[in-house]
Amino acid sequence: MSGAAEGTLLEIEDLRAGYQRGVEILQGLSLAVPAGSLTLVIGPNGAGKSTLLRTIFGFLKPLSGAIRFRGAPIGGLRPYRVKAHGIGFVPQEINTFPQLTVAENLQMGGWTLRRDRKLLAERMEKVYATFPALAERRGKRAGELSGGQGRQLSVAREMMTEPALLLVDEPTAGLAPNLVGQVYELLATARRATGATILLVDQNIEDAIPHADRVYMVNLGRIKASGPAREFGAERVRQLIQECLLG
Amino acid sequence: MFSSELLAQTLIAGVMIGVIYALMALGITFIYSIVKMINWAMGEFYMIGSFVQYALVVYLLGPDLWWVAAPLSAATVFLLGMVIEPILIKPMFTQGIERRDDYATVVTIALLLLLRNLATALGGPYQRNPGSDLPTVMIGPLPESGARFAAFLCTLLALALFYLLLKRTWLGLALRAAAQSRIGVETAGIDILRLDQVAFGIGVALAAIAGALLAPVFFVFPTNGVVTTVKGFEIIVIGGLGSIPGALVAGILLGVVESLGTAFISSPYQNAYGFLLVLLILLIRPSGLFGERVRQA
Repeated sequence: MSGAAEGTLLEIEDLRAGYQRGVEILQGLSLAVPAGSLTLVIGPNGAGKSTLLRTIFGFLKPLSGAIRFRGAPIGGLRPYRVKAHGIGFVPQEINTFPQLTVAENLQMGGWTLRRDRKLLAERMEKVYATFPALAERRGKRAGELSGGQGRQLSVAREMMTEPALLLVDEPTAGLAPNLVGQVYELLATARRATGATILLVDQNIEDAIPHADRVYMVNLGRIKASGPAREFGAERVRQLIQECLLG
Repeated sequence: MFSSELLAQTLIAGVMIGVIYALMALGITFIYSIVKMINWAMGEFYMIGSFVQYALVVYLLGPDLWWVAAPLSAATVFLLGMVIEPILIKPMFTQGIERRDDYATVVTIALLLLLRNLATALGGPYQRNPGSDLPTVMIGPLPESGARFAAFLCTLLALALFYLLLKRTWLGLALRAAAQSRIGVETAGIDILRLDQVAFGIGVALAAIAGALLAPVFFVFPTNGVVTTVKGFEIIVIGGLGSIPGALVAGILLGVVESLGTAFISSPYQNAYGFLLVLLILLIRPSGLFGERVRQA
């Protein structure tokens, strides 16, 4: 049974997951990601934000609960099967193959298109048009790129398949404040170019909220608050965080 | 007595045997790069390769078609590896095993004992020789065993095919990528467990080719993989774990050092020269000639 609300791309219901038996990081978490939105998940350290993305993409098997994508159950599927449904994942670290060239990295991003050479070539050209810096360095090894170009390549790799939903895990973690804006611009570019819905996990709350359509605040593996991004003003966010930290 | 002719012959013999040794090391390092485990049973896949070669040459194809038997031996062992991997290695990634290195060590040593004893139980401890009708080859003025020279040429062909597989195919691209980032490969939409299975099959097939090609040189018996496995690990220490160019260069280096030592110092200590080289490398560059240095905190 689908149960998906109209316009909902991803629906999560009462999800429980953890890395060790008896220790649940996600404790009955439910959320919905509207199609075409940038949905932001925020919360304190250890709240379960990254675990949520890892569970959706299949790196972690849910203990119970449901994950539905376009109404189809995807909970417990292995990553390559989740990917085949049209979901991409951009991990926190720069997700490239340093010894492969930029072009080979993009080919790897387009692995699922490998039997359609024409489409693969079109997508590569589209990515190069979106990120001219990568086009200029297509023959260079990814390990020789700057940090910013590496992040571009991480996102560009995922753009190759033009996923319907892009899961993005803390893309600004550890970055200097002057680089944070570039990362959000990168995500906006990817969204414009592919029309992907984005589920973004970010600790950089103040900077991330202006880019979001909908916000979920997670605490101790559950949703503490949710709503349109405009309802998450600085004062409310501060109060929610305080409540999380003080219990 | 030193002579330039003897030196040249020794160097050629060293390079030839070194390249064949390198196949074994390549198999070990290839599996390590992708599946992130050391397969201690590689010598037994070498042994099975030599037994299949022997059976094909003696009972089916005849000595003239040894070159058909060699790829068939490799293919047989590739399939065997594809069957064994999901049973023994895959649980390392699917059963939540925390100490994967320990797990891999235990299961591959158990596999080593199983295969070696199975070979002894089925065929006895005897040495067999598939024989070779290949005539002695003259390299300039220097004579070289035909079987050894053929093994050398076939090894070069196998290495060229392996290189083309890695550099020119989608599978090769995925394998090279998996050696750098397993998560990256998974996010690309590749079934990493399937890739592990294929990588394991290819790795053990490399050992089997060495076994098949060296069958007429070093014979066929249940423990014939022991020495070659030791050479394989020596090469990995010299070249650096996980480095494919390192395996090739170190293989040749080991072959040359052993040959020179045997010819100019004393032949009974052939294996000791290799160990001395390993000790020397460990002293001056513990990560191996092509290995990455580990940064210390």
